[in-house]
Amino acid sequence: MTAYLVAILTSVGFYVVLALALNLQWGLTGMLNFGLAGFYALGAYASAITTELGGMPFLAGFAMAIVVGTLAGLAVAGLSARLVGDFLAIATLGFAEIVRFLALNEDWLTRGPRGFPIETRPIPEGLSREASAWAYLGLVALLVVVAFVIVERIRTAPMGRVLRAIREDELVPAALGKDVFRFKLKAFALGAALAAAAGSLYAHWVQNISPDHFTTALAIGVWMSLIVGGTGNNRGVLVGATLVMVILEGSRFLTGVVPGLDAERLSALRIALIGVLIIVTVRFRPEGLLPEPRIRLETPAKGA
Amino acid sequence: MPSLKTPRFTRRHALVLGAGALAAPWIARPGFAQGDAIRIGSLTPNTGGGSPFGPEIAEAHRLVVELVNSQGGVNGREIILTQENSETNPEVAVRAARKLIDADRVMAILGTWSSSVTLGVMPLCQEANVIQMCTSSSESIPAGDKKGLLFDFQALNPAWGKAIARLAVARGFKEIAVMGINNDFTTSMIGTFQQSLEEGGGKVVNEPFLYNPNQPSYRAEVERLIAGNPPAVFIPSYVTDFTAVYREIFRSGYEGQVITISLSTGPQFKEAVGEAANGILHGFPVPPVGKDTFDAYLRFVGLEPNGQVQRPFGSAGYDQINTLLLGIAKAGNLDPFEVAKAIFAISNAPGERVTTYAEGAEKIAAGAEVNYDGASSSVDFLPNGMLASRDFELYEIRDGKDVSLERITSAS
Repeated sequence: MTAYLVAILTSVGFYVVLALALNLQWGLTGMLNFGLAGFYALGAYASAITTELGGMPFLAGFAMAIVVGTLAGLAVAGLSARLVGDFLAIATLGFAEIVRFLALNEDWLTRGPRGFPIETRPIPEGLSREASAWAYLGLVALLVVVAFVIVERIRTAPMGRVLRAIREDELVPAALGKDVFRFKLKAFALGAALAAAAGSLYAHWVQNISPDHFTTALAIGVWMSLIVGGTGNNRGVLVGATLVMVILEGSRFLTGVVPGLDAERLSALRIALIGVLIIVTVRFRPEGLLPEPRIRLETPAKGA
Repeated sequence: MPSLKTPRFTRRHALVLGAGALAAPWIARPGFAQGDAIRIGSLTPNTGGGSPFGPEIAEAHRLVVELVNSQGGVNGREIILTQENSETNPEVAVRAARKLIDADRVMAILGTWSSSVTLGVMPLCQEANVIQMCTSSSESIPAGDKKGLLFDFQALNPAWGKAIARLAVARGFKEIAVMGINNDFTTSMIGTFQQSLEEGGGKVVNEPFLYNPNQPSYRAEVERLIAGNPPAVFIPSYVTDFTAVYREIFRSGYEGQVITISLSTGPQFKEAVGEAANGILHGFPVPPVGKDTFDAYLRFVGLEPNGQVQRPFGSAGYDQINTLLLGIAKAGNLDPFEVAKAIFAISNAPGERVTTYAEGAEKIAAGAEVNYDGASSSVDFLPNGMLASRDFELYEIRDGKDVSLERITSAS
């Protein structure tokens, strides 16, 4: 059981990093990114190709994932600079599909639909199953901490104020002399780099990736984490991702407890539960479980 | 603004809710205490791309386990079967497999269907020394199984291509244009199709190519396929895209022979295109229709044998669980390597022919060698765990029904 909980916590870790990346892009900056799975996939493949085909150590693969993720983020944000809201969402969704199709079709590089087996692991050889599961969780936790510190630091720094201003109304920071385009590029590229870093760790964790691993369904799970947890609040993201995973995984244990519930019904119920959670959240708690901290403004006293 | 009366959902509430949700499953779990129980996992594609077949595999696993438990289990041990849905998605399947391995402590995972799922959970199973039984046809599967713990109850892709080409040549089709859906399933099939066609004196006209699924239109692909009006076209695909592809072919007025795999021409397809389906040739690895083992399986799951292929994957699921249980009975313990060795022994010759667990267990207990003969195939394995041979059958659609034309047994 412990090993299972460790594995699930590891999965939560990937979701958290992805959700933090999304929080930076959408929660703070207001850039709708439906293509998160694309950056995740890009990181996974970049890392796998570097270590397996290039014969380099894990760290090189990890670094490559971040570089490729950043470049892709810059490219997507740069090319769609004039797009806002829904249009950016469509462009990013398109990007994710492009990545998936590249992975599917360029099989000389990605082994296409056959799946890419990955031997390189970032943890020492020869550990027991349990020990290696813990070691991997440690690595993922480290990435979560780093990602959290980065995104939280940005949120509280002057840059975070600019990003929030961009989210509310681009014209305002522009009128104050801020280079809106550059800020958006930075936020988007950093988010993409985080997603790619998570992808790299994910690839070496599952040890066999195929384009089917990186469907939009995954991105939707991350979006749910953000909406339920509290858009704009990094702590909320932790809560949201954990909650979504608890529903996804915890519900497995309902078979045998609830009569008449088999694996097939359960998986439908699982998605329904998440849907209900979203609706309830949006209806009764649109700001999420942990709302974004309010900025205290000095308001003039009444009648002044 | 929330009024003061609105109940507030605080962090404390969230914490309690989360902790409760985490704890609930364990609090409510019935207190099993069987140290000796045999724990088996079943991971089937009940939803997603494999949904037409997942439930029948899951049902076969469940019914056999219920039957064997009611007859006293395996060597007196109860079997605990835990069933999970892979959703035909490797990302989900990996988490489900973790649960099966680490929480349910299963010694085998049965029933994975699509190759991406089988390959996706393989590193986990290899690491934890868990036996895998699947019906996946990717030719990369044997390479991933370094410990000799995987048994595949489906013919690999190359065998499909070979068999269908042979069947096509036998019908007099020598010049065939080829396009296939871009997935692992068809890519290697096309290679052996071409090779086998050439060996039979035919050839592939035009350059074979792959198309991507879920397109709004397949016009460009179809134009390319039927360029030069080849006498026949072979289109390995899935039912959803084949319906759209076939509409396009029909609209183009192409009059040659359309050949595909039977996965594409299920009831869904026939309903969608109606009369236009008549005349299509399709082939498939089939359970041995009319054989006693297949009929016995159908009756076991409550169906009547009708001379048609029913439950093509359920029959394989039935063989998976029977083979595994016989392997455990023969090994006399749950060591995965000994059980794997025993599975080879009970499925391959020599030995007395047995077709159910009960029959086999009795003979094993009496010290006899057995050879399990299955509902989906004769269940003989090559040393790499792949099926030694399977039956392939070629059908023609006439009046909206599949009419069998010819059957061959093809070595993998």
